Amino acid sequence: MRKLIPSSIAIALLCFTVGCRSNNTNQVEITLSGWQSSPNEGRLLDQVIREFEAKNPTIKVKREVINSQYMDVIRTRLIGEVAPDVFYLEAFEAPSLIKYGVLEPLNSYIKPDFKLNDFEPNLLNAFKRDGNVYGIPKDFSTLALFYNSTALKNAGITQPPRTWDEMRAAAKKLTVQKNDQVERYGMGVVAELPRQTFMIKAFGGQLVDQNNFAAFASPQGLEGLQLVVDQYRRDRTAAQASDVGANSNSEAFGQGRVAMTLDGAWAIPYLKETFPKLNFQVAEVPKINDRQGTMLYTVAYVMNRQSKQKEAAWKLIQFLTDEAGMKTWAKQGVALPSRRSVLAEMNYDRNPIYSPFVSGAKYGTIWQAGETLPTIVTSFDNQFVSALLGQQPLPDAMKRAQETANREIYLSQ
Amino acid sequence: MILKQKLRDTLSGYGFMTPAIIILGVFLAVPVIYAIVLSFYRVQLLGEVDFRFAGLRNFIRIQDDERVWIALSNTIQYVLIVVPCQTILALILALLLNAKIRGRSWFRVAFFLPTVTSSAVLTLIFMWIYNSNGLLNNFLRFVRLPTYNWLGDPEVALKGIMLMNIWATAPLFMVIYLAALQDIPESLYEAASIDGATTWEKFWCITLPFLKPVTFFVITIGIIGTFQLFDQSYIFSNGSGGPDNSTLTIVLLIYQYAFNRLDMGYALALTLILALTIMIATLIQRYFFKEESLD
Repeated sequence: MRKLIPSSIAIALLCFTVGCRSNNTNQVEITLSGWQSSPNEGRLLDQVIREFEAKNPTIKVKREVINSQYMDVIRTRLIGEVAPDVFYLEAFEAPSLIKYGVLEPLNSYIKPDFKLNDFEPNLLNAFKRDGNVYGIPKDFSTLALFYNSTALKNAGITQPPRTWDEMRAAAKKLTVQKNDQVERYGMGVVAELPRQTFMIKAFGGQLVDQNNFAAFASPQGLEGLQLVVDQYRRDRTAAQASDVGANSNSEAFGQGRVAMTLDGAWAIPYLKETFPKLNFQVAEVPKINDRQGTMLYTVAYVMNRQSKQKEAAWKLIQFLTDEAGMKTWAKQGVALPSRRSVLAEMNYDRNPIYSPFVSGAKYGTIWQAGETLPTIVTSFDNQFVSALLGQQPLPDAMKRAQETANREIYLSQ
Repeated sequence: MILKQKLRDTLSGYGFMTPAIIILGVFLAVPVIYAIVLSFYRVQLLGEVDFRFAGLRNFIRIQDDERVWIALSNTIQYVLIVVPCQTILALILALLLNAKIRGRSWFRVAFFLPTVTSSAVLTLIFMWIYNSNGLLNNFLRFVRLPTYNWLGDPEVALKGIMLMNIWATAPLFMVIYLAALQDIPESLYEAASIDGATTWEKFWCITLPFLKPVTFFVITIGIIGTFQLFDQSYIFSNGSGGPDNSTLTIVLLIYQYAFNRLDMGYALALTLILALTIMIATLIQRYFFKEESLD
């Protein structure tokens, strides 16, 4: 009896390992990493992945959510050679990862029936370098003007502002004071470069020059940014989220602390879920200098060059970004599909809430500018806030921001 | 014969220490040496790993890096305000708890609670208090004082973190002071009373000199801890050190260079500078305390 127990355990273990091995020979596991803005989004992605697994019984997909400091985590894992096989990548991080050669070029995998030219060229170009495609854009969003319909109606404004001047006039009417405390501001601002680059471009300014050095402090670049500062400081009709005690711009808008704001399509599901009573509509970003402008953000699926399951990884990317997969994914409304055919088929351009975002794709400034961008962002954000708070005039602040960024870029080369 | 015995003792002594030596060597000495060596290199870790000798370039770069000086002055300002405040507060709290008051042990627990709470949680709670619609502003509004945007204004953001840190670390040092206070022989106070000393004189001439070694310890640990301020300002500013670089500390800057920009060599050079600063600060106050603590 005494000998029986160990030996039976040994036999059981043997069977177990044999069983595992026979299972392992044809089954591969790949990891997909990304962030998630709501549990709904995760459920939808899980559903798409289950469909994929049903069609490809040999591939198992492990989905992993990294919500905080996404790029720091991904970069550290890439260094440690434990990075996921497929992961989300924002356009503005793409140049540096492509430069270091950690992404797998996808050209050899893409077959004609994948219809690469169906993708909005603006979006695809963000992940191209020297004729190589390094990522397949999963979706995109632009900025558009969200406005509180009730507030506008009460203020006697019949249509959303079409130009920046109209917007400033409307913001004045929409700012409500009560017991020398501002109850509601006209406009919500985010004093960050990812949201303000199109203001630099509005009068012909540039974010970076051809050598990727910061160049936003030109008179043209300042002209656009001055509009934001003037509204905040002179009109006092604009507020940052922290001014009204909100965690984010969207939250300030949802709480009714600001009547208008520029935000992306990702805010729509959030606003509908969190503030069901809020009555809001969306319009295109008001024209500045008689020109349309907005920001264009996109995220792609990219493949890790060190992945051991490249074929399986590509199959997953293909499944997620082909017409059927993108259609399922685009239903959630956090962002818009990057394939033109899907965009047209789902009638996003005719949906009053989404059409301003779709039109923005044509004239939007893509949020990307070479591998020096992280340095430029830090420097810009710091000085722009201090200009907004009135601690220094905008031209001085921007000049300092540009010099600091360029010195740092020069020194790091 | 005796020599052999001695050798055997030595050997067995080192034999017992081997595990500790190996562990400390691998996890302490090697990383330190590695960090010092790498701070003279340009390191590229992403993609093709690449080390290139850079000589003193990383250190020269520090001179021209405006953000280093901002971070250093923020950190030093932080140390100069927080360390004295928390030491004095800790002493006052300890003296209070050492007095024979009712519910003493209850107060000890209550005062010690902030130390047990994780600093991340503390930061989140304080951010909620400092929020423009938060507890602090609601209170100010209630007593008809002007409210303030505590989180958004570069002038006060760092002060907010200071306040929080003083509140959170003082109790830890209070416990240390309390232990030291109970070591002071009662007979000294009795002798002083016979000589007609007032309470104040007793505190000044007996308690404080007795607490000198403990004060040295508290200040040293305080300086080292405050120089390494990271998590609070990281959570406060979401990793950016803003608004307007006002919460940027040296360790946060090192983190940014090491993990955002992957500029390991430069980050390590900054680390060396920080280590040097802390050593100098410790030496300076050792000098001040040593003069009188010889007896």
